[in-house]
Amino acid sequence: MRTATLVLVAYLFCVIVGAVWRLMPSSVIRDAVPDLGALTAAYLGLTARRGSAGAVGGSVALGYLVDLISGAPAGLNAMTLGLTCLVARGVQQRILVRGATMTMGFSGFVALIAGVAGLLVRVFYGVPRAAFSFELKYIALVTVATTIVGPLVWRVFRRIDAAFARTHRERDAALEGLAP
Amino acid sequence: MRRKLIDWALTGILIFVPALVLRSSMHRGEPSGFDKAVLRITAPLEAGVSWLVEGIGGMWSRYVALVDVEDENRELREENEKLRKDLAAATRRATDIAALEELAVVKKQTQADTLGARVIAAPLSPQFRVIRLRIDRGDREVQPDMPVIAGTGPVGKIDKVYGDYADVMLVSDPRSRIDVAIKRTGARGVLIGLGQPDSYACKVTTLELASKPELRAQVGDEVITSGVGSVFPPGLVIGTISKLAGDDGMFQNVEVRPAVDVSRVRAVMVLLAPPPPPDPDAKQRKKSEPAFGARAL
Repeated sequence: MRTATLVLVAYLFCVIVGAVWRLMPSSVIRDAVPDLGALTAAYLGLTARRGSAGAVGGSVALGYLVDLISGAPAGLNAMTLGLTCLVARGVQQRILVRGATMTMGFSGFVALIAGVAGLLVRVFYGVPRAAFSFELKYIALVTVATTIVGPLVWRVFRRIDAAFARTHRERDAALEGLAP
Repeated sequence: MRRKLIDWALTGILIFVPALVLRSSMHRGEPSGFDKAVLRITAPLEAGVSWLVEGIGGMWSRYVALVDVEDENRELREENEKLRKDLAAATRRATDIAALEELAVVKKQTQADTLGARVIAAPLSPQFRVIRLRIDRGDREVQPDMPVIAGTGPVGKIDKVYGDYADVMLVSDPRSRIDVAIKRTGARGVLIGLGQPDSYACKVTTLELASKPELRAQVGDEVITSGVGSVFPPGLVIGTISKLAGDDGMFQNVEVRPAVDVSRVRAVMVLLAPPPPPDPDAKQRKKSEPAFGARAL
């Protein structure tokens, strides 16, 4: 239930961002779309309670919905977000994402991983892509944008997590950003 | 341990499924039935969000973000006014140039001494018709009765000269008399201005009434100067016949609409001297005298 709520909220965010970013004044800002899918996948992977299957499933579902919104080949973002979720799950035991600076740094890292993973998947499957320099520029812009909006999105996700907490301790831990 | 294995297996499957979906969608090249079904469900949400966001964005750009519009409007208004003035000046210059070009053509075709003059005033009748023209040539350059022409034909004659200026009596003035001919038939008459306050019409009197109907003047016939009287050179188009005003058994009366629109004339040409008379021997072949000392063969 928690994962489904997070996925639906993230999907709503993606739709809003998709609609808002088209109205941005500068073409540079229009290209710098924050990767909310990667942030969500990373959050799901980082806060997975028991196994990783639920988190990966949620990430894949969100990725599939993002594919449908963006017009990308179905499965492209699904696979990318699944892999991003696994990476986040892998670092779960090693880092503690707390505080604005750490959250921003981790958001940037996640966006970079998702960008590179997406590029590799597209290369592997022969999906049409732009020139390499343009792809790198796009990944950099997306990373910067994701770094900026990361703390805000994670705060919303922690609120949702707190709403699903069974005890006061779990609720406080969720709001503090402690892994369950 | 078993639980962990199941979790990893499920994770592997969940990663593998998108890979298969991606491969299949790359081969297919279009959304599957499942994709279309999901899109049908999610489309209203996307449409609603887009409508809301674009509505708010439109409201912002139309009603809120208008901080600099007033200044921009003022600048544009000033620029518009300046451009209008420039355009009016350019149009005036173009008209002057066109008039001067026409005069240059007339000057080239006219075998007489001419003097260009600029129209500096044009008094109007109560019905806004030009009564006479005032030009910027005075008593040192022009004299009364000198003919004045514009690009398209005769305008009138010098009436009075005041110091540095001169008034031109128009062909439509009732005091004006010009010997004319009908170009098609060659019949001659005298063009007299009607002096109407609301038109530039003239009439031709003493126009011989031919016995053959086809040789009589008709509406649309061109009226040209005859050259008789040595005032205007022959062949200048004065206007066209606009109305047949009957006859008295001997002469035909017609009304003429002048070719020159005097309300638009900005430059004219004064004919200072009549053209030289035509050489009667021009078409005869003459045997030239032998040169001094040459031997006749």
